[in-house]
Amino acid sequence: MSPTRIYRVAGTITIVLLLLIPLASSELNGLGPLVLSSYFMHLAITAFFYAILASSWSLLAGYAGQFSFGHMAFMAIGGYTSGLIGKFIRFTTAPSELCTDIPLLGNWWLVILNIRRVGTIDESCLDMAKTQTLPAGTLIIFPPVWASIAMGLVMGAVFGLLVGWLVLRLRSTYLALFTIGFSEILRASISAEIPITEGQSGLELVPLFPAGIMGFTSTSKIPPYYAMLLLFLFAMALMTWLAGSRFGLFIRAIREDEEAAAALGVNIVRYKVLVFVITSTLAAAAGALQGHYIGIITPNTVIILQMSLVIAMAVIGGLENIYAASVGAIVITFALELLRTNITIGPLHVDMTLWRLVFFGLLLMLTLRFQRNGLLFPILERISRGRVAQETVSIRVESEELEEVVTEEEVALETEEEETQPASSEENPG
Amino acid sequence: MENAAIFGWALLWILFWGALGGVVTPRVYARKDLEISQASFGGAVIGAALGPFSLLPLWFATPKITSRLIGIAIAIVVGIFIAAFALADPDNLCVANGGFVISQLANGIVIGIIYGLMALGLTLIFSILGVVSFAHGEFYMIGGMVTYFMTAEWIPGVSPIIAILASCVVTFAIGYLFERIFLRPMGSGEIERPTEYAILVTFGLAFFLQYLTQALTSAVPVKAQRFFPFPRTEIPADSGALLKMTPGNVTVFDAISIPNPRFTAALLALMMLAALLWFLYRTWVGKALRAVSQDRQAAAVTGINPNSMNTLAFSMGAMLAGLSGASLVQVFSWLPQVGIPAAARSFVIIVLGGMGSLPGAFLGGLIVGLVEAAGTGCIPDATRAAAYIPAYGMVILTLVLLLKPTGLFGREL
Repeated sequence: MSPTRIYRVAGTITIVLLLLIPLASSELNGLGPLVLSSYFMHLAITAFFYAILASSWSLLAGYAGQFSFGHMAFMAIGGYTSGLIGKFIRFTTAPSELCTDIPLLGNWWLVILNIRRVGTIDESCLDMAKTQTLPAGTLIIFPPVWASIAMGLVMGAVFGLLVGWLVLRLRSTYLALFTIGFSEILRASISAEIPITEGQSGLELVPLFPAGIMGFTSTSKIPPYYAMLLLFLFAMALMTWLAGSRFGLFIRAIREDEEAAAALGVNIVRYKVLVFVITSTLAAAAGALQGHYIGIITPNTVIILQMSLVIAMAVIGGLENIYAASVGAIVITFALELLRTNITIGPLHVDMTLWRLVFFGLLLMLTLRFQRNGLLFPILERISRGRVAQETVSIRVESEELEEVVTEEEVALETEEEETQPASSEENPG
Repeated sequence: MENAAIFGWALLWILFWGALGGVVTPRVYARKDLEISQASFGGAVIGAALGPFSLLPLWFATPKITSRLIGIAIAIVVGIFIAAFALADPDNLCVANGGFVISQLANGIVIGIIYGLMALGLTLIFSILGVVSFAHGEFYMIGGMVTYFMTAEWIPGVSPIIAILASCVVTFAIGYLFERIFLRPMGSGEIERPTEYAILVTFGLAFFLQYLTQALTSAVPVKAQRFFPFPRTEIPADSGALLKMTPGNVTVFDAISIPNPRFTAALLALMMLAALLWFLYRTWVGKALRAVSQDRQAAAVTGINPNSMNTLAFSMGAMLAGLSGASLVQVFSWLPQVGIPAAARSFVIIVLGGMGSLPGAFLGGLIVGLVEAAGTGCIPDATRAAAYIPAYGMVILTLVLLLKPTGLFGREL
């Protein structure tokens, strides 16, 4: 079997397994052979969430070479848009006259709430309208969750377009600084505008399926599991298609050498902006879904440490491959949870909740230094090589000879590169 | 704020004409076949300064946009801003009380000197290695932590000077090790796309150091005692009108009041700055560093090893951050997370001053210190303003990156 075929088969088996996992959940006790707690289901959902973020970031950074630190900001834009729509927008069958009313088709009205804080309770104009102006029997409908999530996606795309367009001229370090600035501004605005976003205490979102679905209650983990899994699979399918098409070739060409790509006829502006729009939309979708699943979103999701978690997942899995990045994210989410148990060795009490992150940071640095393309494929290779039937000595000798030739060539190439390498910095300190 | 409308309209006026000037001026200059490298930024500030009264003459006469012209325009913009603020809020402490203003300014300058020192480290690293260290804030944090633990827990009663020196040694050593293990291979072509690698690996270092410190110490905020309490003095002796010192404070002319920790921290920073300048301009190694920053190959030809200069620059940059942390641990309370806003501030400063420019970093530090002092002292609606404080610097950062990526003193790209 060729390696591609192996990966294809393994991928199909993984997808089927992922689809079947809820059967073993404790909610459906008795259907499966082993029982998975709802905590495990929660971890799986979170793992998919991070997998979407890490793989879309790897498309942006690994494929297109745009090292953006604003990915969590786009995620938060998705979540907050969806949450704010749920908080401020209602549909009614009669004008409320106390709020801002926008007539829609038929006799439906879109009502934008004006929430005032009176003492400790929030009072919205619609509550007052219910007792004063609205005729009896008026229907008041919350905006459907799927629609508010869709609006979250749209906002993610709009902001992705804006940022992508603004950073066209900025490269590497400048881009990183700009996106850090962008996400810090967003975070500060969210924490400061307390009347709108609730600030640090967090914005509450309605559950993903407020009325429950197919016999599951709104607090069940199984519908969100499938929702997040489907989004994850859709994102992977979309990115696989993109990475394999001309789009993928073009963005990789831009990463390697922008001028050369432009000279060969790649529309740099279009593709750089497009990759920003696509990845930020995916991040916003993940954020909106996760926000509705968790039920609350706070500005702390935008802090740099959260972003570095996503980056670390992508890097440790494999920065230049969306699958490696997503597997890295899933494995690390679970690993970080497993490593929570504190260790006591004699008098020494090791608080693993902190030390696991220390090791994690060290692993990140070592991966970058020694395994630039992540740990997933080297590990897979090692495992598969161990299972391969014994190679004949002659093949091994042949391949070693070949390798030697290759390394010699590489050395020659490298020395050439060194000679022609331009000075990396020529700034004048004086 | 009373008459908030005045301030809002002034801001709108500045923004509108600034945007118009920034967009139209390059086209006007391009049509007349003139140099347009400064046109966008120059047009923006000149438009913001006097609106149509300056833009129309600019477009008709199209003079060469010199830095003096830009400087005058910036001064006018700042003047309009301050005037509008004063008109809008005449009862504000910053408008009504001259002594308060001077005191705030002095405090801003004092803290700005320390910010400048920290940013100097970052800009030194950038000018030699071409790398922005995202772990700069962590060195700052470690410098403060080492100083605190030396003076308060490990060897109580030790002279703060020794503690500060120890923190310099520790940060220098961490920087040295990190550069040798992780950044040295960048120069040899062993690593593809070194700039991106450097961003990620310094980011990883930040993550590692932050959690390591948190695991080793705890998340409880600590604060060192003031290092050198002032002697009690009053000049003249009875009233203290000229100069009045208490152990925790110094008051000059009954108006400018500077807390002791800030004062000593700034003094330390100035001494370090003098030492740094002496080192860079008067010693062989310092000259070698500057030579490498100007031209790597040429420096290598004259017998300077660029690799060891890389190591030296990175460790010294880390040490400068550690030193500013060590001198500020008596001013702010200290947490493992304290490096994040400090690093963000340093990014703002070096972008504002021009990446890789030493005087730019120092001036940028002073500007940011002053703006912060004005921001905390003058803005009404304190809670909301406080929540926005991290954003002000970032707005400056993004605007400078978009309008003039070279900053105040940077080389033209």
